[in-house]
Amino acid sequence: MSIIGQSVPRLDALGKVTGQAQYPGDISLPNQAYLKILFAGRPHAVIRSIDTSQAEALPGVIAVFTAKDMPVNEYGLIMPDQPVLCGPGSAKPYTDHVRFEGDQVALVVAESEEIATRGRDLIRVVYEDLPILSDPVQAMQPESPRLHPERDSNVFCHYRIRKGDVEAAFAAADVIIEGEYRTPYQEHAFLQPEAGVSYMDEQGRVTVIVAGQWTHEDQEQIAHALGLPLEQVRVIYPAIGGAFGGREDMSVQIVLALAAWRLAQRGTPRPVKIVWSREESIVGHHKRHPYLIRAKWGARRDGKLLAAQMELIADAGGYAYTSTKVLGNATLMCTGPYEIPNVMVDSYAVYTNNVVTGAFRGFGGPQAAFAAETQINRLAQALGLDPVEIRLKNALQEGSLLSVGTPLPKGVSITQVIEQARAASLKWAAEPPPGAPSLRRGVGYAAAFKNVGFSFGAPEQCTAAVTLYGGREIERAVVAHAGADCGQGAHTVMAQMAAEALHLPLERIEMVVSDTAQTSNSGSASASRLTFMAGNSIKGACEQALQKWQAEERPAAATYQYRPPKTTPYDPQTGRAEPNFAYGYVAQAVLLDVDVETGRIFLRQVICADDVGRAVNPQQVQGQIEGAVVQASGYAILENFITQDGRIRTDKLSTYLIPTILDTPEQVESLILEYADPIGPWGARGMGEMPFLPLTPAIIAAVHEATGVWFHEFPLTPERVLRALKP
Amino acid sequence: MIRNTHPTLPEFEYIRPQSVGEACDFLTRHAADARPFLGGTDVFVRMRDGVLNPKYLVDVKALPGMQEIRFDPQSGLTIGAAVNMNRVIAAAETREHYPLLADACRSVASYQLRSRATVVGNICNASPAGDTLGACLAFNGVLHIQSSQGVRQELLSNFFRGPGKTTLQTGEIAAALFLPLPHAGSQGVYIKLGRNKLSDLSLVGVTALGYPDPGAPSGYRFRLILASVAPTPLIAKQAEDCLAAQPVTPASIQEAARLASEACAPIDDVRGSARYRKQMVKNLSARALTSVWEKLNRRGQNDISSD
Ligand SMILES: Cc1cc2nc3c(=O)[nH]c(=O)nc-3n(C[C@H](O)[C@H](O)[C@H](O)COP(=O)(O)OP(=O)(O)OC[C@H]3O[C@@H](n4cnc5c(N)ncnc54)[C@H](O)[C@@H]3O)c2cc1C
Repeated sequence: MSIIGQSVPRLDALGKVTGQAQYPGDISLPNQAYLKILFAGRPHAVIRSIDTSQAEALPGVIAVFTAKDMPVNEYGLIMPDQPVLCGPGSAKPYTDHVRFEGDQVALVVAESEEIATRGRDLIRVVYEDLPILSDPVQAMQPESPRLHPERDSNVFCHYRIRKGDVEAAFAAADVIIEGEYRTPYQEHAFLQPEAGVSYMDEQGRVTVIVAGQWTHEDQEQIAHALGLPLEQVRVIYPAIGGAFGGREDMSVQIVLALAAWRLAQRGTPRPVKIVWSREESIVGHHKRHPYLIRAKWGARRDGKLLAAQMELIADAGGYAYTSTKVLGNATLMCTGPYEIPNVMVDSYAVYTNNVVTGAFRGFGGPQAAFAAETQINRLAQALGLDPVEIRLKNALQEGSLLSVGTPLPKGVSITQVIEQARAASLKWAAEPPPGAPSLRRGVGYAAAFKNVGFSFGAPEQCTAAVTLYGGREIERAVVAHAGADCGQGAHTVMAQMAAEALHLPLERIEMVVSDTAQTSNSGSASASRLTFMAGNSIKGACEQALQKWQAEERPAAATYQYRPPKTTPYDPQTGRAEPNFAYGYVAQAVLLDVDVETGRIFLRQVICADDVGRAVNPQQVQGQIEGAVVQASGYAILENFITQDGRIRTDKLSTYLIPTILDTPEQVESLILEYADPIGPWGARGMGEMPFLPLTPAIIAAVHEATGVWFHEFPLTPERVLRALKP
Repeated sequence: MIRNTHPTLPEFEYIRPQSVGEACDFLTRHAADARPFLGGTDVFVRMRDGVLNPKYLVDVKALPGMQEIRFDPQSGLTIGAAVNMNRVIAAAETREHYPLLADACRSVASYQLRSRATVVGNICNASPAGDTLGACLAFNGVLHIQSSQGVRQELLSNFFRGPGKTTLQTGEIAAALFLPLPHAGSQGVYIKLGRNKLSDLSLVGVTALGYPDPGAPSGYRFRLILASVAPTPLIAKQAEDCLAAQPVTPASIQEAARLASEACAPIDDVRGSARYRKQMVKNLSARALTSVWEKLNRRGQNDISSD
C-alpha cells in the first residue's frame, strides 16, 4: 500500500507532546553569556553619538557592540537597505539613520540576562529626531522627505499591468463597481518568540542555532554582514515554534553571530544566548502589509466581467524586507481567479516610518483577495446575480489568459472548488438560533488561487541528498534536507515521500535536517512550496540513489537538484510575465450571525474546499486548513494592531488579541480535493497558505447579507460593526 | 520604547509569615518595598512588566482562616482571602445562595487562572475591570481587614477610590470577604463583553440583581453595577431608583439603561472607545435587566403553580 495519502503520525509528535523537543530558547551551552539588544524605540532619527562607557564599566558586562563593530553594516533579503546596527562609524552612508521603532542600535553581552538588561539601560544615545512619515500616501509625494536619502523616492517598487483597453470596456459595461479598500497589519504571534544561541564550532565556524525558514539564506545574510566566506558560517534549526513568514527576515541571526565571533576574536570565546520577550518580538519583526486598494470593475448585465482597474499601495515600513515580492503577488491576485479581458493595475511599495512589513502566510494574496472578492460580490449584488453563479461565469479555465497575458499552467480547478464549497453549504439553516432576537444571519462565498513556489523569475531550486545503506537489501536510507519544519510537519511529509520513492517502510528513513554543514540549499519554507519542491528533489535523489544501488554501489548516494519550469518577471511597461509554475485553488463558504446590539460576529460554520493535488498526509492538510482559517478569522474579525505616529500601541498579547480556542468557528469543514498537479510530486500542490485567502471577503459578504452593510475595512471589531450599523 | 525588561520575573525575596501579627509588622516595617499577595495573578504580571518592583513579596495565603469558606444560614457567606475562584464556584452555598457570584467568577479568564486567582485579590487589585466586583457590591459585601490594631470592617461600596486605589492602609491585610444573606427571591445576571470569548478583560461588564420588595413602589428593587466604564466599579444609582419607582416594563428598563449609560464616564483605550462603551452600557444594561426581570417572573409563575 502506498504511504502517500496516509496520515502517519508526525515524527516530532512525541518529542513535542512530552516536552523533549528543544526549541531555540530551550538550548543552553556551558559557560554561555547573554545578549540583550538596545532598540531605537523611535520611528525616525539620526544617531549623533552612542556612549557605551557606563555600560562597559558595569560589573558582569562582557562586551558592548555597536555599528562600528559591524564589518558590512547592511542586510536585507531583497536589497540590503537595512543597517544591522544603526549608528555612526560604518563605512556605508546613512547607517546612522533610524527608520522604525524596532531598529537595533547596540548589543550588550553579559554574565546574565539581568546584567545585560541593566547594561543596556546605561547606554547613552544622542538622537536627532526627524519628521515621522506614517502615511504611505503622503510618503509617496515627491516633496516628502526621503527615508533613504540615497534614493530619489520613498516608492521603491512600482508594477504596471496593461491588458486590453479598460476605458473602452468601462464605456461598454452595464454596471461599474468602485471601492476603496484598506487592510490592517497582522502580527504573526507565533508561539515561540525569537531566540537562539551562537558559538564557534569545532571547525571554527561561526554557528547560530536559531529558528528560521531558510537556513542557507540566514547563512548568506550572516556571512555578508560579517564579511566572511559562506563556509565559515553555519546555521542550524532545532524545533521551530511557528513561523508563518515571520521568520523569513533576520531578527537575532546576525547579531548573535557577531557577538560570538567578536568574543572569539578577542581571545575569549563564549557561547552567546538571546531570548526575546513577546514585546521585543512584536516590535522587532515585520508584520503583514497594510494595503490601500482602489478598485473599479465593470461587467455586462449577465455578469460577464469586462474590465478591472486597480491601484495598490503597500506600506512597507522602514525597509524593504520582502515587500517587492509580496507586491508582485498582490498585483497578480488583485483581479481574482477570473478571466478579465481588460486589466490595468498600478501597484506601489512605499517606505514609511511604520513598523516593517513583509512575508506572512498568503504573501499579498489575502489583501488582494479581499478587494477582488468583495468587488465581485458587490457586482453580483448590483446585478441581482447569485455570487456563486457570477464566479463560475468568469472563473479561470484551462488555457485562460491571466492579467499578465499568459496562460496558467495546466491543472486549473477553480470551478470545481467553487462548486464543491457551494454544494456543501446547501445544508445550512437560514435562521439564527431561537431566543436571541438581536442576531442576524448571513452566508458568504469567496474564492482564490495561490502560487506555489517562487514567482516572477526569482531563482528557484531545491536540493536533496539520499544515501542508502545495507547489503542485500536497503537497511537504512538517510535523507539530508535543509527544508525547515516550522511546525507544519514538513519533515514527516519528506520522510513519507522518501519512503514511497524507495519502496521502504517509514521506519527505515532517517532524516538529517536543517543544518548548513550537513545539507544543501533547499530554498525557504514559504510560498506554499516545500512539499512541492522538497518532494520533487527527494523523488529525484531517491531515483538516482536506487539506480546506483542497483549498480551495486554501497552505500549508494545521490544528490539531486530539482528545478521547476522557469518563470519571468513583469515587463516594466505591460506587466506581461510568466508568473508561476504551479497554483493551488480554494473556495470557501461561511455562515455567521451578527449581534446588532453589540456588533459582535459569531462565526458558526466555515467550509473550505482546497485543491491540494494530492494530500500526502491528509491529517496535516486538515491541520493547515483549520489553522489557516482560524488565523484568517483573527485577521478578519479580532486582531487589531494599532500604531500611532509610527509607534506600536499593541505590543503585548493582552492588547493585541489572537483567537483562543473558544473564538474559533464552531465548525470548519475541510473539503480536500485532489486534482493532480501535472508536475507536483505524486500530483501534490502546495496548500499551506491558500485556505487563508478567501476567508475575509467571505466574512465581509456574509456580514453584508446579515446587515446590509458592505465593509471596506477590517478587522470587523464589534465597535467597527456597530458604528456602521448605527451611523 | 520597549518597556519590558524581564522575560521572567525580576528577583525578589519571598516571605511567608506564620501569624497575622507577623505579617502586619513586616508590611509596616517595609512599607515602601513589601507587598502582600494571594494568587499573584495581578502582582506577578505587574512585576514582570516593570510596573511593580517590590523587594519582598509577602505570601498571606497560609495565615489562619485565609483558606476557609464558611456559610452561616442566619447571616451569610464568609470567603477567606486565599480561597481561589474555582473553589468559590464549586461551593454548594455559592451556587445555591449567590449564583451571581459564581457566574461572575466563571467569566474570569480560564479554569487554570481561576485555580490561582482569588475574589479578594480581584477586590484589592481594584481594577475597574474586575469581573467579580459587581457581584460582591450587589450583595452588599463587607471586607474584613486586619492590622496590628485589630480588625476593621469596610463596606465594599466605600472601599474603591480609583484604579488600583482603595482605603487599605500600609500594614493592612484583607482577611476575608463577607456577603450578607441575599434578599429572598433574588435573581442576578452578569454580562461581560470582551474582545474575545476567553481571557480578555471586560470592555464593559454589567451586573444586575433584582428581588421582590413590597416596600418599593414597583414591588421590586434592582442593583445595577458597571465594570470598566469609570475609575472604580460604578453603581448606577439613578437606574436602580428608576426601576424601584415605577412599574417594571420594557420602557422603564430602557429608561434605566439610558440612565446607566449617562452615569458612566468611560475612557478611550486600545481595546475600545468611550463612545462604544457607553452604547454597550445602554444595550447590555437593558439586556441584563430584561433577563433578570424574566427570571423574577419565571420564579413567580413557578411559585404559583407549585402552590
Ligand atoms: C491571564 C490573565 C487573565 C485575567 N483575566 C481576568 C479577568 O477576566 N477578569 C478579571 O477581573 N481579572 C482578570 N485577571 C486579573 C487577576 O487574575 C484578578 O484580578 C485576580 O482576581 C487577582 O487575584 P490574585 O489572588 O491573583 O491577586 P494578587 O495578584 O495576589 O493580588 C492582587 C492585588 O491585591 C493586593 N493584595 C493581595 N492580597 C492582599 C491582601 N490579603 N490584603 C491586601 N492587599 C492584597 C496585591 O498586593 C495586589 O496589588 C487576569 C489575570 C491574568 C494574568
